[in-house]
Amino acid sequence: MEAIWEYRDLIFIKGGLLTVEVAVYSLILATIFGLLGSWAKLSKNKVARAGADGYTTIIRGIPDLVLMLLIFFQGQILLNRFGESTGLWTFVEIDPMTAGVFTIAFIMGAYYTETFRGAFLSIPSGQIEAATACGMSRPLIFRRIIWPQLVRYALPSFTNNWLVQLKTTALVSLIGLQDIVYNANAIGRKLREPFTFLFAALVFFLFLTAVSEIALRLLERRYSAGIRRA
Amino acid sequence: MADAAQISPIQDFIVSAIFDYTVVVDNYETFLIGIWNTITLVALSLLFGGLLAVPLAVFRAERHPIFSPLIWCYTYLFRGTPLLIQTFLIYYGLGQFEVIRDSFAWPVLREAYWCALIAFSLNSAAYQTEIFRGAIEATPFGEVEAAKASGMSRLTMMRRIILPSAFRRALPAYSNEVIFMLHGSVIASTVTVVDILGAGRTVNAKYYIYLEGFLAAAILYLTLVFLISRGFKLWEKHWHAHLRPRSAASPAE
Amino acid sequence: MNMSNATLVVEDIHKSFGSVEVLKGISLTAEKGDVISILGSSGSGKSTFLRCINLLETPNSGRVTVNGETIGMRYPDAGEPIPVDRKQVERLRTKLAMVFQGFNLWSHMTVLQNVIEAPVHVLGVSKAEATDKACALLDKVGILDRKDYYPAHLSGGQQQRAAIARALAMDPDVMLFDEPTSALDPELVGEVLKVMRDLADEGRTMLVVTHEMGFARDVSNKVMFLHQGKVEEEGAPQDMFNNPTSERFKGFLAKTRG
Repeated sequence: MEAIWEYRDLIFIKGGLLTVEVAVYSLILATIFGLLGSWAKLSKNKVARAGADGYTTIIRGIPDLVLMLLIFFQGQILLNRFGESTGLWTFVEIDPMTAGVFTIAFIMGAYYTETFRGAFLSIPSGQIEAATACGMSRPLIFRRIIWPQLVRYALPSFTNNWLVQLKTTALVSLIGLQDIVYNANAIGRKLREPFTFLFAALVFFLFLTAVSEIALRLLERRYSAGIRRA
Repeated sequence: MADAAQISPIQDFIVSAIFDYTVVVDNYETFLIGIWNTITLVALSLLFGGLLAVPLAVFRAERHPIFSPLIWCYTYLFRGTPLLIQTFLIYYGLGQFEVIRDSFAWPVLREAYWCALIAFSLNSAAYQTEIFRGAIEATPFGEVEAAKASGMSRLTMMRRIILPSAFRRALPAYSNEVIFMLHGSVIASTVTVVDILGAGRTVNAKYYIYLEGFLAAAILYLTLVFLISRGFKLWEKHWHAHLRPRSAASPAE
Repeated sequence: MNMSNATLVVEDIHKSFGSVEVLKGISLTAEKGDVISILGSSGSGKSTFLRCINLLETPNSGRVTVNGETIGMRYPDAGEPIPVDRKQVERLRTKLAMVFQGFNLWSHMTVLQNVIEAPVHVLGVSKAEATDKACALLDKVGILDRKDYYPAHLSGGQQQRAAIARALAMDPDVMLFDEPTSALDPELVGEVLKVMRDLADEGRTMLVVTHEMGFARDVSNKVMFLHQGKVEEEGAPQDMFNNPTSERFKGFLAKTRG
């Protein structure tokens, strides 16, 4: 226990912060992927639909770590070969942070695709027709009619996916990012107290899960309550 | 071949992206070991997890005053934290304690395969508990009443009415759990088990390459997921469709 | 009280849900072969009364005696009464088969499996014997050709007849019917009532909570009218339907006829 207190900065502040950073960045990117994916899945364009279907099928079929290793190791090679051959750039290094954030976002984007698709479909089409009949413009319809309901319908599934995403961030320790798992594992082994340190990391994740869960449930309640009252 | 020099960088790029399948073919035995380890790990952890989950789910669904909160803590802990840390805790962590190193279980707990199996089983048990609990709680109330009214004891009712009907209801969620467990099983490769990803890593390390091993692993996982989904679809058709209201008059079987 | 060798004696049942007293002391005696119709408007407590008899609801006080054997109850200082012996309740429930408004067939089993389930797994009858008997019963209620169907693939009337066969398979001493035709489309009511008529003709002892006035008048030999948790009027159907004494029952009859 004292050992953990001694190394609290390295583990919780540095490592923990990095974990949260990865999670938040990848969340933003994944949400964008998810919105794009759901838009493609619901679009009338056959190519877009097929692309989105392929995307979600592949993600569902390949484990996250395999994708992460592929992108981290091979992605860099491909990118540089491509730069070399086209002469567009000379050398890019995909740092573990970029690879980690991008992979996690790419994976979770597929799950958010289903989240948003489901939410879009839950909005009765009659309401959109009604809004159109009132003479509302498409952006206005999106902002005033679709978005608030989208949030409400998407929140439960969004919460589940975010909790999965939070746990997935632990994988970045495997491509050399010094997040909480990496630091806890390294220090724990050095001090011959791996259990103690890994358990601290476990508790940290449990804390993140609990906080997110409470926050999102509150948000859920607010959104659905507000709609019902209206 | 005057313009060969101009084409070559593009060619080079294309060649670099091409999958050298001979590497995989030459090492097919490694991949076979990997497939075997992945499949046994997933199947056994689902089995052990399931055996643990059924009684836990029953206690949870019945709101047992002592066990139910304890089980909730267990499922929350395992569902709320990364499988990676859970596996590390068991494989790297347990050796910290002398009691464990001296115990009869140490020869097992020293082996990466068994550690992964234990971690995966405990993890899957937590998820399966929640799946089964939900399915048990969704048992139509009238069917339980009918069972009570025909004089069934609680045990008979659980065994004959509630669980069989709950298992059928749980099937779609369960197929997801199987796929998630397959995804999660790649963690085994991080504690030195040669599963499918482990085989890919081994082959990559042997030739100092990055693509072939991982890509072969990805394709193998993709195939397994496809087979699992197919299998469950068929199973559901056989086992589940009878429950869905269908337009009258069509016999079972 | 009534210590005759009646098949079923129910004495002074009280039942409250929270602060609402639903049953305010109801008694009933069924001799062998009695068909008793229990009438009342919704909220009169008639279904709750029926469910108190086989302890699907635990009465706050009162006694239930089946074939001379009284269900033993314990009355703790706080909370609901508890049966002294769960096994006794389970055993007596096999004597009091119930047919529900919503059929409540086990959806993961075929009709035949539904019918043999309790005989095999509660009474310990062999599967072959139970199957033979089940087929005979399904034939009797007219759905033998549907024995391998799942409940979801049957009409409501067929489901309810299957449920009646399931109840019969227990060889019950008393059959409890809880609004057996209320969930059915009007054109399917007749087939279920016909089966129930046949059972009455056979001399089965039946307690029927129902809205079917025709059944109450023509088939039953006793009628009981409940109002706000009390017996408002009871007697032979010809007396009650021809010369109702209580204003409330008169009103009830007028409403159901109109």
